[in-house]
Amino acid sequence: MTILQSLKNAVRQRSIHVCYVDTGSCNGCDIEVLACLSPRYDLEQYGIYVHNNPREADVLLIIGGITPQWEDKLRMVWDKIPEPKVAVSIGNCPISGCVFSRPQTLTKAPAKSYIPIAAEVPGCPPRPTEIISAILSVAPHIFKDWEMKR
Amino acid sequence: MKKTVDVSIPLGPVHPIFKEPCRIKCETFGEQILAAEVELGYMKKGIERIMVGRPWQEVMFLAERVCGICSVIHNFVFIETMEKISGLNVPDRAAYLRVLANELDRMQSHLIANFSYCYTIEHETIGMYLLNIRETVMDLLEYLTGARVTCAYIIPGGVRFDPDNEDLTRIMKAMDDVERETRRYMSMFESGPLIGLRSKGIGVMTREQAELIHAVGPTARACGITTDLRSDHPTYQRLGFTPVVRTEGDNFARVMLRFQEVLQSVELIRTIIRTLPEGKIRGGGTIGRGETTHRGEAPRGELTYRVKSDTHGRVQEISIQTPSIMNIEACARYMIPGVTSVADVTAAYISSDPCIACTER
Repeated sequence: MTILQSLKNAVRQRSIHVCYVDTGSCNGCDIEVLACLSPRYDLEQYGIYVHNNPREADVLLIIGGITPQWEDKLRMVWDKIPEPKVAVSIGNCPISGCVFSRPQTLTKAPAKSYIPIAAEVPGCPPRPTEIISAILSVAPHIFKDWEMKR
Repeated sequence: MKKTVDVSIPLGPVHPIFKEPCRIKCETFGEQILAAEVELGYMKKGIERIMVGRPWQEVMFLAERVCGICSVIHNFVFIETMEKISGLNVPDRAAYLRVLANELDRMQSHLIANFSYCYTIEHETIGMYLLNIRETVMDLLEYLTGARVTCAYIIPGGVRFDPDNEDLTRIMKAMDDVERETRRYMSMFESGPLIGLRSKGIGVMTREQAELIHAVGPTARACGITTDLRSDHPTYQRLGFTPVVRTEGDNFARVMLRFQEVLQSVELIRTIIRTLPEGKIRGGGTIGRGETTHRGEAPRGELTYRVKSDTHGRVQEISIQTPSIMNIEACARYMIPGVTSVADVTAAYISSDPCIACTER
């Protein structure tokens, strides 16, 4: 491994920019992601910064079962994120549709049929600590030696 | 006729300050906003379609997931509608505990709304302080009901859990902290000169305009309209509730009104704990057949449920009217047009505390 690569690995571990898209959730998972920003959980001490701008993001958080409007737009948002990138789905909705996965629903879960998902955090809603630990465990693992894996 | 519009600026659906997707299309002349239009439809899940034909036990959990921020009031109003249909009575202790859970939920909802506003005008310091108080309130809600967000605390005829004296003492003690901190950050917000420049006199809506567009909740009360459905609720009447009203009608008034309501909720919770009656927390009974409409005051305004159920308690027809749609329309029609910069569009929009998940369901 070159010195440059080890430097990149060290930097990428400690600087993760997050963008989140709400693809039809009930807001419950949204406010748990917001609670991660609060001084008690303090997302920024791990070097995670919530930008909400796909062009600058490394990690995309997907919240909610996919509504008809998001079927094509989710892919567009994902394509705008520069490599290396990770998608993490928050809550039960992107996994199975949760309570909305019933007859007559308009949502079309799972999210992984639209874009590749690296990690799923189940829960309705998951606790802020679970969200932070999912991002921290998956993102550095994928970003490590990314140029070599490509 | 030639249009005098310079540029049409779209904001959203993925935008740094929007927590939920929506699109605001602004027609601008220089930096001046001439007209605005809010485009919705990114969050339509069809909850009412899923609810039809299901027993109330399932609809109860679906009703809670109409909105995650104000989940307790959706639970509260739906269960009260079903009780009204079936003629069930609630024990006094349960009625008081319902209001206790509802006021805790209102506090966290108002605090996160004010956090969003402070974050929008880029005063993150107060925003982070407010999130810290909110975590204290969320802890109490979890302590009382067993869950942070979707708690399903209220059931027909009563509530799920009965707090003992030790729990109530803990809530009472935490209220002192919440009140002290809220007063401190409220005075910081009130006296901040730069906050005043970004908030006072921006996004103004007069009382006449608010009446015309049927604004509800804190948005209407900040314009001087005394509308609060809590004053019609029997339990709140026993607690001596009077609505908070301000008259300025700008961004500053809306945010300050939410701070005042947090303090009012603190007082209500203290009164509840001091005068909590002894007795049972569940009255029993079954859900029957009928059709009725029932209203309640959500953190964002008036919430209406119309339910028709059959003899087994299955929901045959349901329609929900949530408050945010009125306030979003008021925003697009009166608050946003006339602001002098594009940065104030988002500030005026967030100050009315829109909840897209509620609006579209």
